[in-house]
Amino acid sequence: MTSNIRFTRRSFGRAAAGAALIGAPLPLRFASAQSAPANVKVALILPTSGVQAQIGQACRRGADVANDVLADMKIPVKLDIVNYDTETKPDVARTQAEKAIDGGAHMLVGAFDSGQSIAIAQVAEQRGIPFIVNIAAAPQLTEQGYKFVVRNFPTAPMLITGAFDLHKQIFKASGTTPKTAVMMSINDTFGTSMVAGIKAMFPKLGMPYELVDIITYDPAAKDLSVEVAKAKATKAEMLMPVSRLNDAKLLVQELVKQRWEPMAIMNPGSPGLYEQDFLKTMGKYGDFAISNVPWLDPKSAMTQALEKRHLAKYPNDQLDINGGFTFEALLVAAQAFLDAKSTKADALMDALRKIKIDQHVIIGGPIQFDAKGQNVNIKASAIQNLKRKPTVVMPEESAAAKLVFPAPGWNDPRRT
Amino acid sequence: MSGIPPRLLGVLGLLLAFLLVAPAVLGKYGLSVLILVLYFAYVGQAWNIMMGFAGQLSLGHALYAGLGGYVAAGLFFHYGLGPWAGVFAAVVAASLAGAIVGYLGFRFSLAGVYFALLTIAFSEFTRLAFDHWSWAGGSGGLFLKVDGSTSLLNLRGGPVLFYYVILALAVGALILSRVLLESRLGRYWLAIREDAEAAQAVGVPVLRCKMIAVVISAALTSLAGVWNAFYYNNLFPETAFSMGRSIEITLAPIIGGLGTLFGPFIGAIVLTGLGEVFTDVGEYLGIPGIKQIFYGLALLAIVMYRPAGVWPWLAGRIGLK
Repeated sequence: MTSNIRFTRRSFGRAAAGAALIGAPLPLRFASAQSAPANVKVALILPTSGVQAQIGQACRRGADVANDVLADMKIPVKLDIVNYDTETKPDVARTQAEKAIDGGAHMLVGAFDSGQSIAIAQVAEQRGIPFIVNIAAAPQLTEQGYKFVVRNFPTAPMLITGAFDLHKQIFKASGTTPKTAVMMSINDTFGTSMVAGIKAMFPKLGMPYELVDIITYDPAAKDLSVEVAKAKATKAEMLMPVSRLNDAKLLVQELVKQRWEPMAIMNPGSPGLYEQDFLKTMGKYGDFAISNVPWLDPKSAMTQALEKRHLAKYPNDQLDINGGFTFEALLVAAQAFLDAKSTKADALMDALRKIKIDQHVIIGGPIQFDAKGQNVNIKASAIQNLKRKPTVVMPEESAAAKLVFPAPGWNDPRRT
Repeated sequence: MSGIPPRLLGVLGLLLAFLLVAPAVLGKYGLSVLILVLYFAYVGQAWNIMMGFAGQLSLGHALYAGLGGYVAAGLFFHYGLGPWAGVFAAVVAASLAGAIVGYLGFRFSLAGVYFALLTIAFSEFTRLAFDHWSWAGGSGGLFLKVDGSTSLLNLRGGPVLFYYVILALAVGALILSRVLLESRLGRYWLAIREDAEAAQAVGVPVLRCKMIAVVISAALTSLAGVWNAFYYNNLFPETAFSMGRSIEITLAPIIGGLGTLFGPFIGAIVLTGLGEVFTDVGEYLGIPGIKQIFYGLALLAIVMYRPAGVWPWLAGRIGLK
């Protein structure tokens, strides 16, 4: 047999270029990790590309200003935050977690999504490295008996219960209670889960209104005229959308076109209505919609510092709960390190179990984890869009403006 | 192993020896990357039987992986039935799905992109069905209990256990593919791939051969789904049956060399390796998503300059043909 191997100047050039391509990033990464003198190394694992890229990047912006905010708040920790991208895939999330731990991470933070977070949780558990979940609502994450996982985000049932509790508070504060409501929901993973959860929980919540219909629509819908007409025909006094961003826009556009003016557009805990792009696109028609979600406490000094730093670094991007919860996860990591006085995993985990952070950014009680690793002190808040800005109107102790309920009609002069 | 060049056998022996000791010599991260390589090599091999050998384009193979995973994981979750028992139900479910898709497509002479559309449609409406099926956890997902124990019987344990399972599957799929390719059935498949009408004219039972290809491919893919479900311990319809997952399954054999035995392995190594390199580049540059651009450009270059895949070219260059 004759060998086909030929080693020419051209092939050497190709090989050298290939080797440079493959080899270059490793020392560069090493140099990058060495550049910042820091106390504790935290791997931030987020979906900054792929389907969830927009949200992952919003989370990362909250982390990018974390060290500045910690310094502003005189918290004597500098975190060495190393970013990892999950590409919105659980298998990549798992590999990135392994890579982060091999790279010397003392704690892991992430990963916005339940599937990706569970993939990371398993690595954290197997390697004995603390994992702080910034955002992920699947209850199973803290029901599996993990010893190295804590979550600073409400579970899906907590989100629903909190949102409906706020509905009651809003009716009480305004003195106006709708008798009927119709729910319109996007038919994706999140929407379907919410519908299932609400169907199961609604009868037990003692709500003062009747839920007359639940209308679902496809995530790829380009027109919601039929669905809105159907909802309007129910003559419901309140509309409860479970939406994402683009369908929230379609929904409100259609409401205006069909001249349907429900007493309120108030979601039972979902994104869409408070998002920057929604507010920009919808203008005055986006105002007065209410979202019942966890939110940043405008009266907290730490929130003010975070908003200031975020605005300075990202003047074109609104700080929202994605950035807020990611910052808080890093705050938890910083505090755990301060309490543990060590970077050893067991000491850090012990500190996380005992942690109590009174001053933080999300509305609610002190950050503390129960035996399962769940922070049960997070409160839902009512966010009303006022003058194109999501504004806390409930709970009253955190309110930055007065609630407007019922919402003004589409041509009401209060919409300017 | 008649017909395999001795030099290639030697290389394979060395490679297998390395793979057997890899957990002892690689770090945890390296092992997790190798697990991904073997997973994509395995599912690529399964897909290659249908497309590479029999010439039937499926762009909905996530259907079989998802079904396999859900059936085995569901039986384990609800009834405590271990995965080695559940795997039979998984294989039956996926084979049945494959047979339905295949029969509808082949009986009504759907070919090429039309058959591919049919496979996508089945995968999509299965995803929608699972979104609403409470037994399978609906859109909220199905989660397997993680208890930290190690049990090969229940596929519970750390990465090393799953590494050896996927290694066994990958090696098994390679051997099976070789046996099939050398058999009469394999020859029939190649004839159908090249020209189905001519094959039929000379007496090849085209419908039956295509059906066998689909069923074998679906059954093998379902095993990967079972492995995947127990490795990650969670399943969501949106990811298990996604179009993206189906495309991922096809990439390794296309890049490595469609219809070749070692193409899926080489493709998986190239793709996973490139993916990791470009992840590092993206992290260094600090630009989210830049990896996908580099990755796309690299794939484009491979497809343009090595249209038959990397393996046929590589085998020629290093004298393994």
